[in-house]
Formats: sequence, C-alpha cells, structure tokens
Amino acid sequence: MFRKVLIANRGEIAVRVIRALRELNIESVAVFSDVDRTALHVRMADEAEHIGPAPSSESYLRIDRILEAAKKHGVDAIHPGYGFLSENADFADACEAAGLIFIGPTADSIRRLGSKTAARTLAKEANVPTVPGSEEPAKDIEAARRLARALVYPVLLKASAGGGGKGMRRVDAESELEAAIREASSEAERSFRNSEIYIEKLIDKPRHIEIQIAGDRHGNLVHLGERECSLQRRHQKIVEECPSPMITTHPEMRVAMGEAALRIARSAGYSSLGTVEFLADVQGNFYFLEVNTRLQVEHPVTELVTGYDLVRLQLQIAAGEKLPFKQEDIQWRGSALECRICAEDPENNFFPSPGKIVQLREPSGPGVRLDSGVYPGWTVPIDYDPLLAKLVVWDENRDATIRRMLRALNEYSIAGVETNLSFFREIMDDPVFRKGWLHTGFVGDFFARRKPKSMPSQELELAAALAAAHSKNGHAKNGQPATRSQKPETSNWLADGRGSLLR
Amino acid sequence: MKWQILIDGHPVEIDPQDLEAVKEVEPGVYSVLMDGRSFEVRTIAAQDVLSVETGGRRFTVEVRDPRNASRQSRAATGSGRQRISAPMPGKVVRLLIREGDAVDIGQGLIVVEAMKMQNEMKASRAGRVVEVCVRDGDTVTAGDTLVVIE
Repeated sequence: MFRKVLIANRGEIAVRVIRALRELNIESVAVFSDVDRTALHVRMADEAEHIGPAPSSESYLRIDRILEAAKKHGVDAIHPGYGFLSENADFADACEAAGLIFIGPTADSIRRLGSKTAARTLAKEANVPTVPGSEEPAKDIEAARRLARALVYPVLLKASAGGGGKGMRRVDAESELEAAIREASSEAERSFRNSEIYIEKLIDKPRHIEIQIAGDRHGNLVHLGERECSLQRRHQKIVEECPSPMITTHPEMRVAMGEAALRIARSAGYSSLGTVEFLADVQGNFYFLEVNTRLQVEHPVTELVTGYDLVRLQLQIAAGEKLPFKQEDIQWRGSALECRICAEDPENNFFPSPGKIVQLREPSGPGVRLDSGVYPGWTVPIDYDPLLAKLVVWDENRDATIRRMLRALNEYSIAGVETNLSFFREIMDDPVFRKGWLHTGFVGDFFARRKPKSMPSQELELAAALAAAHSKNGHAKNGQPATRSQKPETSNWLADGRGSLLR
Repeated sequence: MKWQILIDGHPVEIDPQDLEAVKEVEPGVYSVLMDGRSFEVRTIAAQDVLSVETGGRRFTVEVRDPRNASRQSRAATGSGRQRISAPMPGKVVRLLIREGDAVDIGQGLIVVEAMKMQNEMKASRAGRVVEVCVRDGDTVTAGDTLVVIE
C-alpha cells in the first residue's frame, strides 16, 4: 500500500479521500489555491502545498504545479477526486511519466471511454443498446435533416465532448433544426472548444440510472448495482438513490444493466472504479449514455447499501491488490438516498450563492452520514462549483429513508449563504417523489405543480418575534442584568422595555 | 410598553416579560419555550432587519423603533433611476452596454459569473444608461451597483 498520497482536488471530495487515507495509515497531501488556504481539506490534511491563484485553470487544473507539489512532498500516488483532472488522460500519462501512480484507470481506458462517440461505438460492439442516433457528428444540415426525419421527432442534439447539459437541445420539428444545430455547436465550441454535435432520438420522461463498476489489475471485474440519479437541475444531479424505485419493481433490470456495464468495461480493459450511465424509458428499456472513468460524487449511496468503502477499494486497486470480493458476494441491503447540499438559490433558478457561512448546524443521529467540505466561518469561494456537502441517509426501505432524510434536513441549518435545504425538504414531502415516479424532467414538473407554502403558524411567528426582540435587547439575556447601551440616543421604549425586564 | 415587531411586514406585539421564555444558547441561536412547546430560532442580522429562521421557515423581522416608524422604508423606489445591483458575489465577464446607450425593458446589460455559472443582468425598465460602475474582470460583492439607468 502507499505511504503518502496527494489529492489533486478540493472541497468535500478531498476531505473524503483524506479520511480513507487516514484509515489506511497513509499520509495525505492537500493542494490549494489562493482562496482555499483555510479550506477544510487543507486543515485536515497532514501536509499541504499552494499551487496557484483562484481560477482552476491556474491551480487545480495545472498538471505541472500538481506534479511539482507531488515531487516536493515525496508522494507515491495521486488521487484526482472527481471533476478537475480526474478524467484527463494526459494527466494520467504525466503521473506515470513522473513515476507516480494515478489512482484511477489507465490513460488508455480514459481515452477509449472519454469521448462520447468513441464510447458509443464501443458499447455497440459490446452489444449494449444505445439511444438510436447518428454514428458520426452531424456535419452538414442536409444529412442532419435526413437523420432527424428517420429518427422521428422529437430528437436531441448533444455535444460530442459535452457534459452538464452544455450544447444540448431538444428539437420538436424540422423547422427548428437548423437554428438549434447552430446554437448547440456554438455553445459546445465555447464550452469545450469542440463544436461537434450528434443527433439522438429523444427518450420521453427518461430515468437516469447508472451502474457502479470496479475492476482490479488482475482481470477481475464486478458491478455494485445501480444508482438512480433522475433528479437533476440544469442537467446536473442533485438527488441520488439506491435501489432505483424502478429496479425495485423490475429486479431483472439490475442484472441486465450490470452485465451490460461489465461488457463495456471488459472491452475497454477497465481497471479501477467507474460508472456506466444509462437512460431507461418507462417500459424498462435501457440505453447506454456514457462512462465516467472516475469516482462519482454520489458514490456514498452505493457504499451504504453494499457496505463497501469505495475510496478504500479504489486505493487498493491502484496499489495492485486484488478485489477483496467476488460478484456473488455483493448484496444490497436497505435503501440509501443522497441530497447534494449546494450554495444556491432554488427560488432563483438555482443560481449560485457564494459567501460566508456564519452559522452551521449539522445533522447527525441514526443512519445519517454527512460528507462536508465546509465549516462555520468559511467563505465559499466564487470560483468553484457550489457543492457544500452531501447528506446521505440509510434505512430499511425507501419510505423510511425518505422520512429519515426529512428529519436530517430539518436538523440541518446553514446561514450566510442561500442553500437548497428547504427545496429538498419540499421534495421529500412531495407525493410524486414518494411514489418514486422519477424522470429527468422531475424538478421542472415539480416547480410547475408546487403549491404555495401554507401560512406559518402564529406560534412560529411569535417564537421568531421573541427571539428577534431578545437579540435586539442584546445584553439582557440569561438572567444577567441589562447593561446600558453605549449609544446616547437610546430610545424611550427600549429603556422602558429594559426597565420592565428588571422588575 | 410593548415591543413592536414586524414579521414579514405583519405586526406582532411582545410584552417584555415574555422574553423570559427566550435563552440564547449559541451566538445568534435562541431556544424559545412557549406553553411547553420548544422552538429553536436562528437569527442573522442584516443591515436594519433580522433574518430569522425557525421550523423550516424564514422570516424577515424588523424590530421597530416607534420614533421613526413613519419614515421607514418606501424611500428607495419611485424615482426615475434604476440601479442594477449584483445579486451575489461574482466576476464581471461581459458588459453589453455603454454609458449613454438607450435600453429596452428586458435588455441584457451585463454578465456576471459565479461558480461556473453566468447570469445576465437585465433592465427592468426602458431608459438610458447613465452610469456603468464596473469594468470587465471586476470582482463584485452582493449588492454592489453595476449599472444605473434613468
């Protein structure tokens, strides 16, 4: 096993990796940008190195600086986390060239699975169903028209190098096609410096269901079941769960999807943790979407139902160890649910809300796990994504898990930045969510059917008023005598209020 | 004399003796016991008002000073000037207008980026840009005036 590992990441995932390292008695090295000097991952790591200014292109994406830090601190391996350099084959190559182990798949696997079009071809060769659509990026408009007509509208335009919904467009009729292609390719060009667009059949009300896989460097490969991640905003996941409510009613889907995922992994010679993403339609047909060649944000959901520590497993695999279990050993117990707690405003299109966390109360108790990257007094920087923490709960079945999540959300309080906590409280209470009727357009539908909040009870208002009065009253608390205000122009009513308190 | 308190604009009177029901348990965090019911209330002071959270609800609370109650609020709006301010901290990535430009209602004025997301600030009324207070690349904090329209 390794002696010292550098984590080329920040936030909650860096903290998560540090914890796994510490449990294996491995020393941890954090890296940080200017604005992250006092971030939680830096506080928690054994060693830390500054790698540049706030913009990630000048720090967390700088391969040269990260390798310099690795050399200076004498590490054996680098954990890339998710995002940043985690799916960058050149980084994996650069690590190897520097004599370091990249904790992830080989650069070759990343290349074979990283491009969506290449991965689609590979999936088809492995006899895995894909969404009907173009093999090649749509180059001229005539070919695109013919193809879209053959697929039957509505169709979906997607950026070849895409992610996070960038360069994605729904097209309902041929008259919209040309303009949509123009917009999608320019958006793709801006976001990924690659304007390639391909066309797919649009699956109506699709579910996003993904399979966690794990392979070692000795040819062993298993899947650890699914996660359903249909609740998304701006095409990014915000709630994930295992088992998928759909698979609870169609258990054969887990077997079929698991086997499909393993066929793809096998043909790419995959050896690490990875995730094969699928769309499922209402009939239970599933279609290959893409492979994520890294640890996923939502990995804790799988950890809670299978009982395995995936980051530890990833470290063991990278160190050359064999998978400590076989496919038939893996069992799924109970139900797990994750909410991504973000500094953003759900009432304003989930717009990011960076700033200082002035108060924090974190949930705990039975079945509650919080993977957090923040602390009270920490200023959430504007430069990175708004994820503050992941609240993950486990219970015997989905209903109990949802009730437990609601309980934990009610214990959770973050002040100073806007968060999506109250939005998640509403989701947990939503009858459609409780029934498990999920699809990737769920959040949009939810806002459309959402009822206005009921009036708060009078006693709640009174409690708020009392606390406000007490806080304005300042010093006259906890039975201590009131002290006189420093300001000369103390109002009469305030003096009177204090006077009556002293009586 | 009673405390005059506005909860989301709705007046509530508090007898000072009722404050015995309140204990500050952590800075800004209060435990309130009323008729045997327990409430945890969190308060954050923001300028003249308090943001108060309890039972999963958030209230804007104003503890009113009777002497100047009459001239509180309602002063900001009404004039012909419109200030476009930053809704959150971020970086100015694009200016879409210049001083002197005529703008229509809904027209994009300025693009501010925070946390990998770009937000286009729009004019909420038609008029002329009389002042552009920021430049490309400037870092702004919530509430900073970006553009003034008349």
